[in-house]
Amino acid sequence: MSGMKDTQPALALERVTKRYGAVTALREVSFSIPAGQTVGLLGRNGAGKTTALNLMTGYFPPTEGVVRVAGQDLAEEPRACKRRIGFLPDRPPLYDEMTVAEYLRFVCDLREVAPRARAAHVEEILEKCGLTEVRERLLGQLSRGYRQRAGIAQALCGSPDILMLDEPTVGLDPRQTVEMRTLIRQLGRERTVIFSSHLLSEVQELCARVLILQEGRLAGDVSLEAGGEAGRRLRLTVAEGSPRVLSALRQVPGVARAERQRGTETGEAELLLEIAGDRADREIRDQVFRTLAALDVPIRAMGEEREGLEALFLRLTADEEG
Amino acid sequence: MKTIWRREWRAYFLTPVGYVFIGVFLAVSSVLFFLEILAPRSGDLPTFYGSMSYLWMLLSPILTMRLLAEERQKRTDQLLLTSPVSLPAIVLGKYLAAVSVLLLTASLTLVYVLVVAMYGTVYPAELAVNLLGFVLQGCAFAAMDLFLSGCASTPVIAAVLSFGANFLLWMLDLLENAVGAEWVARILRFLSLYRRNETFLMGQLSFAGILYEVSFAGCFLALTIYLLHRRRIA
Repeated sequence: MSGMKDTQPALALERVTKRYGAVTALREVSFSIPAGQTVGLLGRNGAGKTTALNLMTGYFPPTEGVVRVAGQDLAEEPRACKRRIGFLPDRPPLYDEMTVAEYLRFVCDLREVAPRARAAHVEEILEKCGLTEVRERLLGQLSRGYRQRAGIAQALCGSPDILMLDEPTVGLDPRQTVEMRTLIRQLGRERTVIFSSHLLSEVQELCARVLILQEGRLAGDVSLEAGGEAGRRLRLTVAEGSPRVLSALRQVPGVARAERQRGTETGEAELLLEIAGDRADREIRDQVFRTLAALDVPIRAMGEEREGLEALFLRLTADEEG
Repeated sequence: MKTIWRREWRAYFLTPVGYVFIGVFLAVSSVLFFLEILAPRSGDLPTFYGSMSYLWMLLSPILTMRLLAEERQKRTDQLLLTSPVSLPAIVLGKYLAAVSVLLLTASLTLVYVLVVAMYGTVYPAELAVNLLGFVLQGCAFAAMDLFLSGCASTPVIAAVLSFGANFLLWMLDLLENAVGAEWVARILRFLSLYRRNETFLMGQLSFAGILYEVSFAGCFLALTIYLLHRRRIA
């Protein structure tokens, strides 16, 4: 791996917009990904995932904004930036008339691997991707699973720091899917990996962070590191759910949002508090208790709940008019 | 560029394309050889090369149709365009691969020359100029057809477009005779690739001819690079 400065994010998008004629596929999307992180890109069909990946790999430039790879502008230093990126598009870019080994040698040459190091590099990739037994088979004759592996193998040629995978498990059978996930997990240990997927469970299993796109906008940027759950919330049942109680709760440090869910027949109210960032739950619960005690509002029940990725995804990608 | 060239060169012979191109060329040129050299017992190689140069018009689309259109259709262009390779290197690598097959084919026509040399007289200087014109014309067609392959979304569409364009160029000569206005005829004469070849066939080394054919190819290669660049930023 070429030495990446730790201070620079592996990849950064700065107010990136992409228009295809009258259609805007991405609108002012900004985010940065530190080196070594595995990030999932989620979104409904047409949300802009593939466009985002194509922009980040330099397949086409943004209409506006800047894509930076390890601090360098992709538009100004395309060769240096592209050397750092390996890309598996949604359809593996394979030449059917070539054998697996021949194809990987070709990609190594494209990615400027030194001729002397090429043979060993190809062997290492064949081994890593489980392609050794089909190395002399024509790509056009391979099964879907092997084709997908060959697609990943080509992305590894030249040992890029950053790996981008566009729906790498689509169309694979369950066994192949598990194998592919294991491979991605392995690769994620030594590189920055960004992959798009429709499978929330897959993203939850593999990623430290999720970027959710909705209609070309970045709708959510969620860390999954704390136990693999997306959002944390406190659900309270209190004797009184008046606006003064809600506004007092909103003042509690660490509470991002407080809303009344519903009232009960006995006059009690159910409140939902969203916890921001990485605040310790106990600290917030104590603070909530003190705040309500000061207002003389008894707490009848208090429980912590976690919003799963699925619920978060559905909330963030709900139709705006809905 | 060398990497792209090597892959395309190999692809010509890993798929039937290279064999079909060379095979059909040799089959048709053998019939021409029989009709123009063997049957009339003639040693007129310039006329023979003149007739053969029309084969480029028919066969060049086979050579170029998949070069860019297939990459687009199968989306393998994603590999090339996300690799640290420049657009000019991609286009030139592909073009030179087509030209290499073309040169290999042209060199096989020396077998006919050998037959003529065994029974008659061959003038080496004249032959060299004939061959140069013959090859340059092939290279010019290949560049235009490569551009059209870049315009098309599938190899079949690329082939049809290229056939059409090659025939249109040929028809310029017919138009030239048909139009009344002398200035139009002059322009058409200037543009005609076939007319340019006539001086080479007469054994005259025409620098204007070389310049025209090289510029013709150069313009289409530049247009191809521009086309791919525009498509990326569209």
